[in-house]
Amino acid sequence: MSQTRETLITMANQIATFFQSQGAPDLAARDTAQHIKDFWAPRMRRDLLDMIAAGEAQRLSPIASDAMHRLK
Amino acid sequence: MRDEEIATLQAILADQAARPGALLPILHQVQHAFGFIPKDAVPQIALALNLTRAEVHGVVTFYADFRQTPPARKVIKLCRAEACQARDSDATAARLEQGLGVTLGAASADGSLALEPIYCLGLCASGPAALVNETPVARLTGERLERLIAEALA
Amino acid sequence: MSLITEKDFGTPASVATETVTLTIDGQAVTVPAGASIMRAAGQMGTQIPKLCATDMLDAFGSCRLCLVEIEGRAGTPASCTTPVANGMVVATQTPKLAKLRKGVMELYISDHPLDCLTCAANGDCELQDMAGAVGLREVRYGYQGHNHLNAATDASNPYFTYDPAKCIVCSRCVRACEDVQGTFALTIAGRGFGSRVSPGQSELFLGSECVSCGACVQACPTATLTETKVIEIGQPEHSAITTCAYCGVGCTFKAEMRGEELVRMVPYKDGKANRGHSCVKGRFAWGYATHRERVLEPMIRASTDDPWTVVSWDEAISHTASEFRRIQAKYGKDSVGGITSSRCTNEETFLVQKLIRAAFHNNNVDTCARVCHSPTGYGLKTTFGASAGTQDFDSVEHCDVMLVMGANPTDAHPVFASRMKKRLRQGAKLIVIDPRRIDLVRSAHIRADHHLALKPGTNVAMLDAIAHVIVTEGLVNETYVRERCDLEDFQHWAAFVARPENSPEALEAVTGVAAQSVRAAARLYATGGNAAIYYGLGVTEHSQGSTTVMAIANLAMATGNIGRPGVGVNPLRGQNNVQGACDMGSFPHELSGYRHISDEGARNLFGADWGVTLDADPGLRIPNMLDAAIEGEFKGIYIQGEDILQSDPNTKHVAAGLAAMECVVVQDLFLNETANLAHVFLPGSTFLEKDGTFTNAERRIQRVRRVMSPRNGYADWEVTQMLARALGYPMDYQHPSQIMDEIARLTPSFAGVSYDRLDALGSIQWPCNETAPEGTPLMHMERFVRGLGRFVVTEYVPTDEKVGPRFPLLLTTGRILSQYNVGAQTRRTENAAWHEEDLLEIHPHDAEERGVKSGDWVKLASRAGETALRAKITDRVAPGVVYTTFHHPLTQANVITTDFSDWATNCPEYKVTAVQVSRGNGPVDWQISYAEKASRSRRIEATS
Repeated sequence: MSQTRETLITMANQIATFFQSQGAPDLAARDTAQHIKDFWAPRMRRDLLDMIAAGEAQRLSPIASDAMHRLK
Repeated sequence: MRDEEIATLQAILADQAARPGALLPILHQVQHAFGFIPKDAVPQIALALNLTRAEVHGVVTFYADFRQTPPARKVIKLCRAEACQARDSDATAARLEQGLGVTLGAASADGSLALEPIYCLGLCASGPAALVNETPVARLTGERLERLIAEALA
Repeated sequence: MSLITEKDFGTPASVATETVTLTIDGQAVTVPAGASIMRAAGQMGTQIPKLCATDMLDAFGSCRLCLVEIEGRAGTPASCTTPVANGMVVATQTPKLAKLRKGVMELYISDHPLDCLTCAANGDCELQDMAGAVGLREVRYGYQGHNHLNAATDASNPYFTYDPAKCIVCSRCVRACEDVQGTFALTIAGRGFGSRVSPGQSELFLGSECVSCGACVQACPTATLTETKVIEIGQPEHSAITTCAYCGVGCTFKAEMRGEELVRMVPYKDGKANRGHSCVKGRFAWGYATHRERVLEPMIRASTDDPWTVVSWDEAISHTASEFRRIQAKYGKDSVGGITSSRCTNEETFLVQKLIRAAFHNNNVDTCARVCHSPTGYGLKTTFGASAGTQDFDSVEHCDVMLVMGANPTDAHPVFASRMKKRLRQGAKLIVIDPRRIDLVRSAHIRADHHLALKPGTNVAMLDAIAHVIVTEGLVNETYVRERCDLEDFQHWAAFVARPENSPEALEAVTGVAAQSVRAAARLYATGGNAAIYYGLGVTEHSQGSTTVMAIANLAMATGNIGRPGVGVNPLRGQNNVQGACDMGSFPHELSGYRHISDEGARNLFGADWGVTLDADPGLRIPNMLDAAIEGEFKGIYIQGEDILQSDPNTKHVAAGLAAMECVVVQDLFLNETANLAHVFLPGSTFLEKDGTFTNAERRIQRVRRVMSPRNGYADWEVTQMLARALGYPMDYQHPSQIMDEIARLTPSFAGVSYDRLDALGSIQWPCNETAPEGTPLMHMERFVRGLGRFVVTEYVPTDEKVGPRFPLLLTTGRILSQYNVGAQTRRTENAAWHEEDLLEIHPHDAEERGVKSGDWVKLASRAGETALRAKITDRVAPGVVYTTFHHPLTQANVITTDFSDWATNCPEYKVTAVQVSRGNGPVDWQISYAEKASRSRRIEATS
């Protein structure tokens, strides 16, 4: 797996960590998904979804993972 | 500056820097300790007082009494103010210059002796007056004057 | 065109609101109370002769030329030091005054060389003017007495000379250095007739404490302090008002010209950002504009291994267009993109993003602000609703407590730093949060009340600890919060920061700062009166950059420090047009005026105006473009005015990304480091060669005026326009004012902006529209732009970049006064006299442990790469922290920095890199081969 795609996992996890800290667990995945939708180019979203589908995104945090499912 | 000189300077700064208007008292103490204000002391004084080198330099050079070079071994400061002039300090000055071989405002070539003007020592009643290495002497005419010259040259 | 002259009223304006009426020379005049007689006379058009007075400085009363007679008062008081009073009757010209003035002038001239005809100041000399004004006809004393006519000239400073023979010891230079610049580098040495202006300890200017800001040169009424260029060239004959192209302060200058040759840049008193002051960069460091290394003809090459071939503009543009079309046909429309420049004008930036959205048909546009202030945009938009600083610079004059965080204004924003220092000398308190002991912590006449020297990467922990004190000690401004902010968000935030784990005591181990210092600083910020936060890239360039900006906003809201003069949240922008580049829609997710690309209304507005359908999804950001390039999906890039290879983090990664592209187009003044990996080079134009606007850190839109023809043939906006046309997208602007009209038409916060309005008002702070026709100096006055201020929970998350046995020290980077960014401009000026190489600052303890002495070569290594540079041992940095600048390509500090970035914006984490320092014996291998490789890449094929 390439380093640049690994970066996407790191980025998604960082975003999820922030929204998780906002204190409302039910909203964290929603807000993470919205942030990714607002700021990531479609190609990046697609790449990360591809990685999830291929089982290459084990490092993704549960909230980030939940968020990505919402962006399918 | 040598290590012990820096220590002396730092001790003065530690003691004085916090007082209001600390610059002049510090400069006096530095001159007392070293005989003059060493060039390398200025940045350290500036740092301690949160001033620039330029500001400290401005004060050092403004006051005629602050020296920037080491003093001669013996410094005679002759009063050239009005009261002493009235008591003929002109003649005293001329005799000193001639007797010591030094012009007023200068030092001897070997740096051992300096003759400087000063303006009023508060000894007006007993002029012509002078300071010899910070010790006041008065009525500098005739024999007293000759004795002073002889001692200075000894 | 003629030379713009500014009237000198002799003493500063009085800010009093009550007025006083007096009679001067039989004429009644009403002026603000507290004004001097000299100023009052000036206001009615009477110039009282003067030499030591100038309206940039408080009255001094030393030259005795401005004497006047006042009815009922004895003597002849100086008009500069005498304030006006009701009913006062003043005569400025009487036979007695004429005699006195002539006598004074006669004395001045008796010790002044009579070489007016060959003097550099001939025609621009106040002494000469005054000799004329008082009718001096002879000097009865002769010139044989004691004088200073043979005093030696000091030409040590590369930009100005000091000729003491011409000095009248009016002290204007000394006072300017103190009052205006705040450096106190000059003094009057000696006394009486022996008095001389002295830099430092009667030494040369260059070795003294002088920072070469030019304030003394500006203040000098004679030729004593004169620009070297004026001595070389002569007096200018016409001038234009323009805006400096260096930092985000946005100083206004008069570009004084002789034909098309720039003679000097003179700070303009009516400049709202600088108020007549300048720094060494804007005032003097413009020689790069005509530097021999500037590339003036377009060049192309098939491979970066080939030498460049010089081609015509037509060929360069059509080649570029066909390359981009070929790439898009082969790899898809999203395979190309572009980068706008914070160095270019608003109009040029707007045009580049338009080119990408309308002619490339994608949103792959980003700007160099990505790597500096993108977290400011995100953080302030989220909390306040507007991606910009809240105040104008004048606000600092009403500030009681300054909190400076992750900014080093005396080096990076020197002209504003002078204004800060002036306020601090007047008694404002200062809190500095910075790992380094910057000059503001302690320098002449300035001493921070609290310096919280935190470990790099712990900003959020520090701000949470401060917030903890404010909340738990009952220092919240509850009325303000209740009226202005979302209460539920506030309560949520207050409960968060009040947790024991956010107390200064609990976070002491994280930040490395003693809890009682944090508590004291928090109390001062919350209770010290008007408190303003000024911050820089030490806040934004972290993995929690956006969180830190929001934590700052939280503090300001909780203490009610938003919405009036003297307070606020003030990002100090690094480059001249960072604010503008962000405003102009340079980000891949936003159209101009910060409207999200997914906003259908905004998108349709632009689409209709531009005759295209815009993509609704955000495009790639710079690091994402590079990642995509390495993945093989991004193949072409148009880079205007940015050297990403040197300025962006993890140089190896940037180089790999660029090397993977098929068409890299660089538009710049010089063959920069990025150009070594480029296929097309389009020569850029300087700010002196084009019309446009820059927007500074206080949202102030200011005109840039063309004073010479572009040496490369075209202004940058014209080049973008040619490229758009070649791509089949019509653009037909005749002048940048038409681009601004389009910006105004499409951007609500710019609705009232036009070149006519800018010419009329001088400058405009956005928002400028129907409700604020003259612009908006202070934002969020009655309510926040988003309505209620929003508190955001800011949990401290340690960065992944951690010290360990291999890399035990933390590197942080920054800027130095004399150099600017990657140094492309300043390195090509005489500023090299002050900083010719990047140095590594290291604490004596860390240096001793490694056997490193000052001046030794050291190897600096991180997990990203290694470089070598010389060490400077200093306790400015704490043990465990090292610091360097990034101005020189042969050091390339960014070889060391990593690709960690801010969670919200991908702004790189420049300010924290775990490194090791070891003794070295010279440059490392890549540095030795780099120079050779770079010069190979810069070969230009001989034209037949």
